[in-house]
Amino acid sequence: MIRVVGGLALAALAAGLVMAFGVAPRETTQGNVQRIMYLHVPSVWVAYLAFAVVLVASITYLVRRLEAADRLAHASAEVGVLFTGLTIATGSIWGKPTWGTWWTWDARLTSVSILFVMYLGYLLLRGMVEDRERGARYAAVLGIVAAFNIPLVHFSVYWWRTLHQPPSLMKPGPGTMPGVIVAALLVNFAAFSLLYVYFVAKRACLLRREAEAA
Amino acid sequence: MADNWGFVLAAYGLAAVVLLSYWRFLARHERTQTHRARPPRARPGVSEPLAPAVSEPLAPTVSEPLAPTVSEPLAPTSGHPRSKPASRPPLQ
Repeated sequence: MIRVVGGLALAALAAGLVMAFGVAPRETTQGNVQRIMYLHVPSVWVAYLAFAVVLVASITYLVRRLEAADRLAHASAEVGVLFTGLTIATGSIWGKPTWGTWWTWDARLTSVSILFVMYLGYLLLRGMVEDRERGARYAAVLGIVAAFNIPLVHFSVYWWRTLHQPPSLMKPGPGTMPGVIVAALLVNFAAFSLLYVYFVAKRACLLRREAEAA
Repeated sequence: MADNWGFVLAAYGLAAVVLLSYWRFLARHERTQTHRARPPRARPGVSEPLAPAVSEPLAPTVSEPLAPTVSEPLAPTSGHPRSKPASRPPLQ
């Protein structure tokens, strides 16, 4: 089953590349560098998804003490950190030619960095506490607290004056993007979501085997 | 605006490296676990275990230290092994 999801993710990623480089047109203002968007925006979407899953799994663990929920939270946080790091790196690469700087302490960039550091701390906390049950409990509390940062990241572009543009897709009201760009973005959303499911399923499976062997 | 293909390639290349590295990390982890979980293979033609099952502990439990604690400093040695006194020839 996991292999099937992996195969689907690979096919969807190939389709996403075709959409991003073959179908989507060259953007008028930014030129071809705007094609980084098909990588940057799905990455942050997966990061949001991963941390939302951590929140739900952490609450489930604290209420019902399900080991599976703890393993899901652990796997999802790991993959979320991976995609948040990718979001920051690709955003920085996109920022240089468009803003003229690799990095600025903008509200969006700062809040997403805080999100990254918080979940990195979550993973470190798991490794630091020797008693597994206690470590899982502490991590679950941190997983819930850190999730409050997600809306802060998303709405930071509305609440503060920022260099980062407001969202073009995940916003209320009619869309302003051409249909073909939205289609290319949606294919990449699907591909990254499948990749997330594949990574989390595989990681959770490995964590289960580790727990059984211990 | 210039196309900046270099930045596009850098972003996609970095993503490919990061995602492939994580996939390899998972695959390596899985291989290690499978290798550890697999029981040792029996030799062909050997139907019985090589050693009989031991129901008792091989050595009695030692409650006292095996050697008395040495409180005096040991004599300095050259590092060469010395023969036992009984095996030495008597002095002429």
